[in-house]
Amino acid sequence: MSSNPIIETKKATIRFNGLTAVDNVDFRMTGGEAVGIIGPNGAGKTTFFNLLTGLYTPTEGAIFFSGKDITNVPPYRRVTLGIIRTFQLVSVFDSLPVIDNLALSTIRFSDDYGSKRKFLFTNVHSDRIMKVCLEKLEVLGISDKADLMTSELSYGDKRKLEIAVALSLNPKILLLDEPFAGLSDSEIGEVSLIIDRVKTNLSLVIIEHKISRIVDMVGRLCVMHEGRLIADGPPDAVLSDPTVREVYWGKEEGLTCSV
Amino acid sequence: METVKTGLTKRNIWKLLDIPIIAAGFLVILPLLGINRTTDFIIFCVFVLGFNILYGFMGRLSFGHMLYLGTGAYTITLFSEHVSQNPLLAILASLVAGALIGVILGPIIVRTTGACFALINLAFCQVGYFLVLVAFSRYTGGEDGMSAYFSKLSFLNFGNRYVVFGFVLFCLLLTYYLLKKFTSSPFGVLIKSIKENETRVKFLGYNTFTYKWVTFIISTTVSAFAGALSILNYGYATPSFIDPSRAVEVIFAALIGGSGSLYGSIIGGVVYMAISNYLASYVPRWEMFLGFALLVVVFRFRTGVWGFIVGLLGRKRKALAR
Repeated sequence: MSSNPIIETKKATIRFNGLTAVDNVDFRMTGGEAVGIIGPNGAGKTTFFNLLTGLYTPTEGAIFFSGKDITNVPPYRRVTLGIIRTFQLVSVFDSLPVIDNLALSTIRFSDDYGSKRKFLFTNVHSDRIMKVCLEKLEVLGISDKADLMTSELSYGDKRKLEIAVALSLNPKILLLDEPFAGLSDSEIGEVSLIIDRVKTNLSLVIIEHKISRIVDMVGRLCVMHEGRLIADGPPDAVLSDPTVREVYWGKEEGLTCSV
Repeated sequence: METVKTGLTKRNIWKLLDIPIIAAGFLVILPLLGINRTTDFIIFCVFVLGFNILYGFMGRLSFGHMLYLGTGAYTITLFSEHVSQNPLLAILASLVAGALIGVILGPIIVRTTGACFALINLAFCQVGYFLVLVAFSRYTGGEDGMSAYFSKLSFLNFGNRYVVFGFVLFCLLLTYYLLKKFTSSPFGVLIKSIKENETRVKFLGYNTFTYKWVTFIISTTVSAFAGALSILNYGYATPSFIDPSRAVEVIFAALIGGSGSLYGSIIGGVVYMAISNYLASYVPRWEMFLGFALLVVVFRFRTGVWGFIVGLLGRKRKALAR
């Protein structure tokens, strides 16, 4: 591994009233890597994401981004560093039009945010802002739904919108929390194509329940179990690891990757 | 370059003509209600706008907004007594005081949400009420209140009821215009997003605390503006302008009109004032009927009167298109 990790955790631990949700996790990844995190329910995958993105601060341990200690940096500041996430339950603003969801994230790193006058007084539906936003929706193939209320979108389209929002924040490292959960088979195909396309420009961490969906997408697989990182390495090696097999499929050898 | 048109960028006649429509609306009810009541209605609408930017748009319900109204009312009165009787300067002083109280209390108040937010506002309002009624009664006249006198300006003579009416209407339209600008800007989208899911907004890279604070300051300033205009109209400040028990009035008005809309605030303000002014002269305990009205609104018209009208028009348009 290169000596210059984009994100690194040192003995990251978080406890909630005696429950250790993430336990002594040492994790590092270099820029441009695509890492998958798998593990059974309640293994601490999402909590680990919450530590990386700043929703929780670790009880012990430290988190570094490009060599800088970000353990106590609040979430919104981490976003400006380029740490962007999506949520397990798709999280977009249902009460706003689709395009407004995107406008907010698009504006964050533009001149419209830099100038307080523009931020307070320009009409968000001006042609200039809408044009940029529509282009971004176009990339994800949902530009025809720009005017709808977000609550009218299907779950799959909401997921695409959430990814469009994440991408418009200029991620250096993109953390996707179960991006395929709740999607139909055809939508899963579309979303994986999108992820495949964008992962060339950034570092990607992706949590997934079903190994088969991400095994071709990532170059490295981490397995979490009861808050600990129990395996880390190339997908083939990790999947043939006996402890991983026991955690994931129990002792029976008959079941295979179809999970 | 090809121009982009989503439905949202299209100019809508209702959005473009809103200010003339509001002005015309008040001119129409002027002969029906008489000048004093209409002026009263307009001032109350300014207050509802100030309240609604916080409640309807950002989703923070305050039980203590009378404090900010009272701040404006007492500032303009004390200013005219001790500093200058120039009415415009006195109004300006009220605006500054309204903003200042938002700046000072904001960092404490906007940290909280839900019931805590509502009650902490109420707590500060109780403190303000006590200060005006008891602690500083030497300056405020305590329960008796105090009069405010304003000098005549060459172009604005506030002794004339029609001048007051025109000025107050202008102030309402100005407030409406500015708030419309705010709410249709990226800032407006941001505070609506905070209403829905504040945590998510943080993950879009926004420090939500700052924006909640700014919104709070806007709300207190507009409320103080309404307070100042009330004194301009009545010429007399009493503790009822800061009475915590009157906080429900503005909440009712916002709910009746439709909480997330500026048009709705004005309609709600007018409807509430109409009920409280006219029902009160026929029915001794009119508040009971207000309670029933609120029940109907909560169960039947979730989006308020204006939201209901918008929904109805939308359905009609869709039916015509078919």
